[in-house]
This record gives sequence, structure tokens and C-alpha cells, in this order.
Amino acid sequence: MNLKKYFIRALHRLQKGPGYTYKELLVWYCDNTNTHGPKRIIKEGPKKKLIWFFLTLLFASLVFWQWGILINTYLSYNVTSSLSIGFKTMKFPAVTVCNANPFKYSKVKHLLKELDRLIEAALERILQPAPWNSSENASPPLDLELWHQIPLVLIDEHDKNNPIILDIFERNQNSVDNQTFAGNETEKKYKLAVKLCSHQGSDNCTYRNFTSAAQAVTEWYILQSTSILSKVPLQERIGMGYQAEDMILACLYGAEPCNYKNFTQIYHPDHGNCYIFNWGMDEEALNSSNPGAEFGLKLILDISQQDYIPYLSSAAGARLMLHQQKSFPFLKDQGIYAMAGTETSIGVLVDELERMGYPYSDCTMNGSDVPVKNLYSQYNTSYSIQACLRSCFQNHMIEICGCGHYMFPLPEGINYCNNEDNPGWAYCYSALRSSIRHRQICIDSCKETCNDTQYKMTISMADWPSEASEDWIFHILSYERDMSTNVTLDRNGIIKLNIYFQEYNYRTISESAATTIVWLLSSLGGQFGFWMGGSVLCLIEFGEIIIDSLWITIINVISWCKGLKQKRARAQYPDAPPTVSELVEAHPNLGFQHEDAGPLPRDEVLPPAPGTPPPNYDSLRVQPLEVLGPDSDAD
Amino acid sequence: AMAPGKKITARIKRTLPVKGPQAPTLSELMRWYCLNTNTHGCRRIVVSRGRLRRFIWILLTLSAVGLILWQCAELLMNYYSASVSVTVQFQKLPFPAVTICNINPYKYNSMKDYLSELDKETKKALETFYGFSEGKSKVRRSVNEWNSTGSQFFKQIPLLKFEDFSKTATDLHTGQKRKIEGSVFHKDSSIVNSGDSNDIGFQLCDANNSSDCALYTFSSGVNAIQEWYKLHYMNIMAQIPLETKEKLSYSADDLLLTCFFDGLSCDKRHFTRFHHPLHGNCYTFNSGENGTILSTSTGGSEYGLQVVLYIDEADYNPFLVTSTGAKIIVHDQNEYPFIEDIGTEIETAAATSIGMHFTRSRKLSKPYSDCTETGDDIPVENLYNKSYSLQICLHSCFQKAMVDSCGCAQYAQPLPAGAEYCNYNRNPNWMYCYYRLHEKFVKEQLGCQQICKDACSFKEWALTTSIAQWPSTVSEDWMLRVLSWDKGQKINKKLNKTDLANLMVFYKDLNERFISENPANTLVILLSNFGGQLGLWMSCSVVCVIEIVEVFFIDSLSIVMRRQWQKAKKWWNDRKKDHSGKPPQAGDLERQGHDNPVCIDEDLPTFNTALRLPLPQDNPLPRTPPPNYSTLRLETAFTEQLPDTLEVGQH
Repeated sequence: MNLKKYFIRALHRLQKGPGYTYKELLVWYCDNTNTHGPKRIIKEGPKKKLIWFFLTLLFASLVFWQWGILINTYLSYNVTSSLSIGFKTMKFPAVTVCNANPFKYSKVKHLLKELDRLIEAALERILQPAPWNSSENASPPLDLELWHQIPLVLIDEHDKNNPIILDIFERNQNSVDNQTFAGNETEKKYKLAVKLCSHQGSDNCTYRNFTSAAQAVTEWYILQSTSILSKVPLQERIGMGYQAEDMILACLYGAEPCNYKNFTQIYHPDHGNCYIFNWGMDEEALNSSNPGAEFGLKLILDISQQDYIPYLSSAAGARLMLHQQKSFPFLKDQGIYAMAGTETSIGVLVDELERMGYPYSDCTMNGSDVPVKNLYSQYNTSYSIQACLRSCFQNHMIEICGCGHYMFPLPEGINYCNNEDNPGWAYCYSALRSSIRHRQICIDSCKETCNDTQYKMTISMADWPSEASEDWIFHILSYERDMSTNVTLDRNGIIKLNIYFQEYNYRTISESAATTIVWLLSSLGGQFGFWMGGSVLCLIEFGEIIIDSLWITIINVISWCKGLKQKRARAQYPDAPPTVSELVEAHPNLGFQHEDAGPLPRDEVLPPAPGTPPPNYDSLRVQPLEVLGPDSDAD
Repeated sequence: AMAPGKKITARIKRTLPVKGPQAPTLSELMRWYCLNTNTHGCRRIVVSRGRLRRFIWILLTLSAVGLILWQCAELLMNYYSASVSVTVQFQKLPFPAVTICNINPYKYNSMKDYLSELDKETKKALETFYGFSEGKSKVRRSVNEWNSTGSQFFKQIPLLKFEDFSKTATDLHTGQKRKIEGSVFHKDSSIVNSGDSNDIGFQLCDANNSSDCALYTFSSGVNAIQEWYKLHYMNIMAQIPLETKEKLSYSADDLLLTCFFDGLSCDKRHFTRFHHPLHGNCYTFNSGENGTILSTSTGGSEYGLQVVLYIDEADYNPFLVTSTGAKIIVHDQNEYPFIEDIGTEIETAAATSIGMHFTRSRKLSKPYSDCTETGDDIPVENLYNKSYSLQICLHSCFQKAMVDSCGCAQYAQPLPAGAEYCNYNRNPNWMYCYYRLHEKFVKEQLGCQQICKDACSFKEWALTTSIAQWPSTVSEDWMLRVLSWDKGQKINKKLNKTDLANLMVFYKDLNERFISENPANTLVILLSNFGGQLGLWMSCSVVCVIEIVEVFFIDSLSIVMRRQWQKAKKWWNDRKKDHSGKPPQAGDLERQGHDNPVCIDEDLPTFNTALRLPLPQDNPLPRTPPPNYSTLRLETAFTEQLPDTLEVGQH
């Protein structure tokens, strides 16, 4: 009994008032809570009481349901986008210019001589079958070793089901059906294919078919030249490419003159030496604060088309690209061509997309959280998705083929593939390149950057120089470059470029969170308030009630245990226990209805009231409470 | 002894008695409501002391109510607004369909059978009007000579030269002058040069009523001759069946020399033929016809589509098309390629590289914006066998109007069921009708622009086109040789580089931008906002609204009803009895309202008022309990029940 008393006291000490039974507690809660519904249940008549009970239940469940929706909405991390368009002073984009052809043929000829003779002889045989024997004898013997590393074969498809593979330099075969090579039938029956073997002489070979001989020759030449050039050290390769002073003839940025020294040289595997204006690596990036061609970059380039490698690049022109400062130019993806003999004007609109990172969208701020080793970091450039994909491919290539591809940068300690050291590399590369699985791995592991900047270009072209001005322009440019009075330039090599900001130079789409924690709280509060007029305090009240009922449970359990013990003890004496009436009494006990008058322990004796009793508003009640809240099971 | 049903009803009546409102009068009810309501404000009105204070509180409460109503109305009005979100996703992208056409629709040599007459006359006209002749026969024939040859085309549509501000015209064919009546349309420009003496054009008359004519003038003979030629050309082509036309046009082998996609070779099997009325045979790469749509998982020019096209410039129709090259359009597999409207032209002897950037957009349909998801709700039949677009709707709408009013279909658009293309033999009036209708269409008088809505979702490929010289001077030699070999021996000539066009279509990056509209508000958020407003101004909730409904509508009404009933009852009693005594009930009612101790004062209960009441004796008082305002709120505020409510309760 001491324990029970102690608990009762503790309960009273915790909060003055609720009472000893669940019902009292509930009535007290309903009467005193700030939530709007429950009070009605207590105060109304029996019929309304029922209605209010269901209404309150309904509203409470509505509140919880809608809270669920709101929290779900919040956790889906939606974003809203805002768009702004206008003109502002912006960093002029970095401009990369390259020649479509990577090396000067005159300088690289000694390396590719054998290859060119091979392909010429092969084409000779394919195209004009009759008199090759005589011509071959006149020239020095061909380096068939080079040929056999990656041979080009003809596939005879006269019999659809049973194609015959013909090696172009196999003598005996050729003599048999040489006259049919040109295909004097109505339909073409021959196809060219590149034969790729896992290593020389093995049977594990694939034939890469081409519907067009032109494609086959180009592809074959690229494979072969890649193998040859990959053995040449970088410095030498740079020397074989186009030099800045030969290529960039004139430069004007706004009103300020500039020259080839303002360009940063970078070696690009596809295009040889590329030159980047305003890369922002060493000095501050230039700003442009005016729209229009007058305030942009004007360049005159020479691509010297005579010096192109005939089989390597069939398209002639300059390749250029606009990109952000400190990013690597991926010309194959984003680059555009400029045609020789024309003036190309490029109006630029900077299209920016600023996104919020995780968890709003799956993007990366600087690429540090991407599980692919960025090989382009050796250029000191920032992360980009293209860099990631290429690094990923190169990593796969090294892993599977044992050597790196010439088009991509190398990690330390790895060499580029070539035919001597890695005889099967072309086979391996070709298999890897067409492997969907490996591509998918790379796509899955790379993430795009959160801030995506694109340069939207409006390109227009005109003939340049005009016929009337052509003479003096060529004369001056040739004189300035070569210090000669002869004209060393012509229409096939010269390109004028104008790059400038448009009248509206930026369009920025920036994301902001559609649902913030403030939004969530105000919406939750709104819902609770709307249906039940509740607030956080009401929740606390409810929590308090739960604690109280826990207390009551504990007390009840204890008293029940006690009762059980007593029962056992009194099993001999059949007297009824008096505790029942106590419990019944507890409910209509007026003292528990209100905080002050309420739950004073009975055994405490109060001092007599003073002469002037304080106003007791409670006494306004004329009828006792129990009449108003009749038990449904009273009868 | 009672039936179980009755027993239950009796039990319900006993346990759930129907009671009227406890307040005897309206003012009592209001007071009770103000004191007991959950909304803030009302209570202040009742408990404030002094008129000014009370007035201020009334004003404040009313303005709070007004604010709530205003703000909630705003919330409701802004309910159907949309917010835009842009998501970028890096992924494997489906490659779009690429439709490639030769600019020239049909091989000129094979069209000779159909067009020789027309061409002859056109040449003659050029010679007569402009003194132009093709090389050999420099001798100008007299006008009379070719009058006699029976020039049916000029009889159908006479070419006219206008003078004197379009008031008189010389028929270029007969040399006669005639007066011009009727309306004049300037095809070239509606603003300038209308009265230029150089104007040339033609007259289209209603075949049934030859006085009703429309004139079309052009400032340049180039346009006039071309337009005139095109009208006749469409006439002729409309009579040729589709199969023949397909044969007359280019085959896939003719057009495509090489093809390379995603690092692999492709050939004509990857292309689907598609016959376009104005461009002849077009070929669609990746049309998705066999169920598979190719996709790219790598961006960049090597991994896109690379084709070399053979454009046989020598076989071009000199009057129909005046430019050389090909036209391409990048579109979705479900979209109809409107080459004539939005095609990109490809130059010969050049490599055209087209970088694509993919954007998908989705708008919210009704009630957010007026767009259509599938086009099913548009009352225009889709004549194209493709998914809905605004362009399709407009063309279909025009074609339908054309069939309705002219009786035949326009050649450039698909045929509706049961109709056939217009030609002069069958529908001599069609050209006049067509021009009239087209004029109306352009001026938005046909209602097509009003009926057709834009589609809610669309895909867009933004193209960046650049051109390089191709083949380069040093590679030209071998390239042409090998391509000639590719082409085979069918043509016995070496290819010329101006007959070739190189085209590269590729994804610049594999980022898909998805611009979507989302509803800015959901019902949940709307209710939250309502709740916020109600709570902010008055601490109100739906419960309060129910209270208001209960008190102001149900209870007040029943009180009014009750009073009326009692009045009627009293009147009846008065009449019935000999009105000997005092009127008992009404007086009681009045007195009760005023005598009710709770209702006496407007102020907070004071000590005095408290003292007037009997204190419960049996409860020992606590020493000094603080005033407990909550206890003021009592069910039994009205001490005495009204007799009728009690009556109801007792039964």
C-alpha cells in the first residue's frame, strides 16, 4: 500500500489533476484540451455527443492521412525552377580552335609512307583489276607485315549463304577471279571488311563488315595509323601538328588586338594541336560586357588543306568549340565545323542550368563522388560527364586489353596500344567498343554535373574573302606570316570566325526546393488547424495523457497484484473486499473534475476556510457534473 | 409486452432525447456562443468592458473574418496554377527518326512522259516573255505560231502582266489587254509594290461564274512562273497513281551511298520508304516500323548516323525546284515529318554535321492549360497515320474544308476517306476554290486555328548545324573513286563531288532535359493553407465552422420557430380562455432571460456576483484558488429549462 500511495503522489506531483481511472482522465482531457473536437463530446447532449465523437474521429483520421501525404511530398524532394533571361557582363567562353586534320602530311609522311602505299595498292586492286602486276613490279615491295596485322578483306556475296572471303594481296585467289572485282553485274556483290584477330595467325577472328568501301578504308586506316602514331612520343607529335603561328593569322578581341600567344596549346588526340583562347588557366578569364560582333572575338585561321593526310580525314575545315573555362574541350561531341573560304559568325547564348545536388537531383558538384578515376585531371580541368565516360572506357580498355587507347589520356605506367606490343588490340578494342554492357556500366557509374552550361550558337555563313578583296587580303596575310611577297594562302585554307554574345546572352534555369522544412511545418500546422484547431501544444497534451494513462496502468497493475495477493490471503474469509466501492466512488468524485478542487489526497486534512473565502467560480455550476455526462450503461 | 422494435425506439428515445437549443432567446444564444466558441475574438466582444473596447473588438473580429474570406478566395483562385520543373537525366537515349529527302521529288528523265507538254509550254513562255532560250534555237518564234499549237495550260490559267495599278492587264499569251475586275491578291507581298507596272501574275476565275475572278500577282516573274508551273504540276501529279509515283522517284539505292550508325555499318534495310507528295520518296532512318527503336549510349559524331547521299543534280526538274541538295528532318517515330515546313537543307560537296540536344516537355492539360493529350477531344479527323500534333490538326482541318467546299482534296495532304485529289479534268473549278479557301485559312476565317489545340507533350531535338568542306582537296580523288565503286557499275560515270552530300546526325550529349509542369497546389496543400489562414486570424478550424452552422442556422432557426410557436399557442389560449389571468408563459420567459444570474452582467464575474450564488456547502474550500475561467463555460448556463424543451425531454 505504501508503494501505491507513493505512486499516487508521484502522479499528482507530475500533473495536478487527471484522476485515478482512464475514464476520468479521458473526460478531463476532453474538457481541457485545446483541440476543438473532444470538448464537444463532453459538453453536448447524448445524440450530439455521438455525432461529435464520429466527427472528431473523422477529423483526426483526415489529419493523419493528409499529414502522410504532406510528409511524402516533402520526402520526394521536388524542385521548382525559375528562369531568367537577359544580358549581363559575363565571362567570354573559352574558344578552342583545331584543324580537322591532326598532323601536317609533309611532317608525318615518313611514318605513314608504307601505309599509304599499301592502301593505294589495295585500292588499285579492288577498283581497277586488270593491270596491277606491271605497276607493282615497278615500285619497291610492299610491307605486307603491316598489312597482315590488320588486313582488309573482300567478301564475295554472290552466294548469299556461303560468302567467300578473299584476301586482297593473296596472289592465287586474285588471279582466279580478278575480273569480277569491279562487279560488272547489275548488283554489287562485293563487300569490304576489316579482319580483326585476337592475335596474329589465330582463328579467333571477326570481320567488321562495311556496306561502303569508303567507310572500310577510312576505318582501317584509322586503326593502322593509330598503332603507328601511338609509338611516337608526345613532343614529337606536337611538333608534327600545326603550329599556332602558322594557323592563327589574325586575332581581335573587342577592340584589343591579340595574337597566337594569347592561345593555350593543348594536344588533342583527334585533332592534333588545338589552341584555346581565354581558357582561364593562368590568368583571369576575360569578360564581355557588350553584345554584338564588334565586341566579340574575331579570328582568321589557315588550315592549309594541301597538307592534309588524304586517308585520315576527308572533311576539311576548322573544328571549334565553345566551352567553360577550365574544362576540357570534347570536340567530337560538342564541336562544330567552320568551312574554308567562308566567314562564320557565331552568336552565343549561354544556357545555364543550376541544380541542387543530392537529394533533390542525382548530380555531382565536382565529380569527387563518382567512382571512376578521372584521367582528364592531368590537364587540370574540371569534371565533366564526357571526361568521366572516356576515363571509364579507357579504364575498361586497360583492364581488358592491357593497353590504353590512343584517343584518351593514359594513367601512369600504362602504354598506348600498338600492333607490335599488343597484336590483338584492334580486336579487343573493337569488341569493347561495341559492347553494350560496358557502355551501360559507364553510363551508370558516371553522373552529370549539377551546373550545366551550354553555349547555344546561332551560326551563319558567308563567302570570305570576297572576290574583289581576295587579292590584297591573301597578300597581306601571307606577308605577315611568311615574310614573303608570294601569296602562300588560298581560298581552300582560310577561315574567318566571329564569335560574340547575342543581345540576350544568358538564360539561366535555377532550381529551388519546392518543399522546405518550413513549408512542411506550416502545411502540417495548417492541416491540423484546419480540421481540429490544434497545434504542437495539443500534441504535447496528448502525449501527456498517454504518460498519465501509463501511470494509471502501472498503478492498476500493482493494485491488481496486491488484490490478488490479498485474495489469496483472504481465501479463508469470505468477506467482500471494500476496494470496489472505492473505485466506483472515484468517478463521480467532484474533486477530480477541476485542477484545484480536485485530487487532494483524502487523508490530508485541510485547515478550515478563512473568513472570506476566495471567489470560487466553480460554484457557478448549479448542477453537479455527473448529470451532464450520464453513463450510457447507467441502466 | 412491447414489441422489440418499439422497445428499441423507446430505449433510444430515453437515452438520446431530442432537445431544442437550451438558450431561450437569440441574444442568450449569441452570448452563449461567444463565450463558448473556439474561435478567438468573439469572446472578447462579450467580455470587454466599455463601448469603445467592445466596438474595437467587433471591428477586429469582423475584419479578421473578412481577411479570412479574402485570402481563402485568393487561395481558391490560384488553385489551378502550375509550377515548372526541369530535370536533366543522363541516360541511354532513343535515337530519333531521321527522314531524308532529295529536294527534287521525281527523276526528271522518267517524268518526261507526263511533263513534256507542260515544260514545252513553259519554255515557250519564257522565250516569249523574257527572250530566254536554251542555247541552240535562238530564233524567236512569233506569238502567233505558238498560239496555233493549242496551249491548253495557258488557256486554263492565263499569265497576265498588270499595268496601271492593277486596273488593266495584258494577257501575255494572246497579247490582249483586258480590264480587271474583282479582288487582287498579291502573293509576294501584301504591303508594297502593288501598283508596280512590272507585276506579273495570273487570274483564277470561278468556272461557273466567269465574272467572279481572283487575281494573283507577283513582283517577280520567277515566282509567278514557278507558282504557275506548280499548279499545273499538281494537276498532273494528282492523276498518277501512288505506285507509279513511287517508281518514278528515287529508290533507296539511288539516294543512299553509305550508311554508318553507332560505329556499325547499316544499309537500306534500316530505312523505311515514305512517299511525300511534294518531295517524292523520302527515307526514314530508325522509323521504328519493325518494332525496334535504335538508341545511342555514346554521344559524339562517331556514334551517330553518318550517311553519304547521292544527289543526281542532272536529273533535277528545272522549273519545280531551283535549289540542289537534300532535306532532312529529325523527328519522333510517332510524328509525321513535315519536311516542307520544318526541314533542314543539306548542301552538296560538304559535310553537314548536326549535333542534337534532346528536350522533352510536358504541359498540364485542362484545367491548367488548354492543350490536348491525345487529340481525341478535337473535332477534326486526323488524316495522318501518326500521333496528334498541331500541324497535323491544321492540315487535316484545311483538307476537310477543301473537300467540303471544293469537292476534292488538295494534293499536298493525305486523302480523307472517299475523296480524291483535285485535277482539272474532274474539278475544273478547284484552283479558284483552293486559292479562295487558302486565303480564308490564312486569315483564320475557317476556324481551324480556333479548333486545333497544341499537344500537351512534345519532344524536341535542338539542332546545331555546321558545315565543312567535303571531300577535302587531297582526299577527293580516292574518295570519289571508292564511292563510285560503291555505287557499282549501274551508273557509268565517275561521281562528281557536287553530286554528293555527307550528313552526320549525332547527340551532342546524352542529357535529356525534361521540362514538366506540375500542379503547384494539391487539395492537401489547399486545405493546409485554409487551415493556416483560419488559424492565423481567428484560431478557427472546421469544428468552428460546424459550430457556426449549428448555432447560427440550426439553433437560431429553432429558437425563432419556438417563439413563433409559443406566440401562436398563447394567442390560441387567449382566445380560448376568457383571458382572465395574467399571461403566464411569455412573462416567465422574459423574466427568466434577465434573471439568469450568468447573463446579468457583461463583465467578468466579480466577487459580488459570485457571492450571490449559493456556495456548495459540503465541499471544503481550498485556500486561495486562482479564478478558473474555464469553469465559466458551463452546459447549464441556463438554469431553468424552457417548458417545451423539458417536455420533449421527458417524453
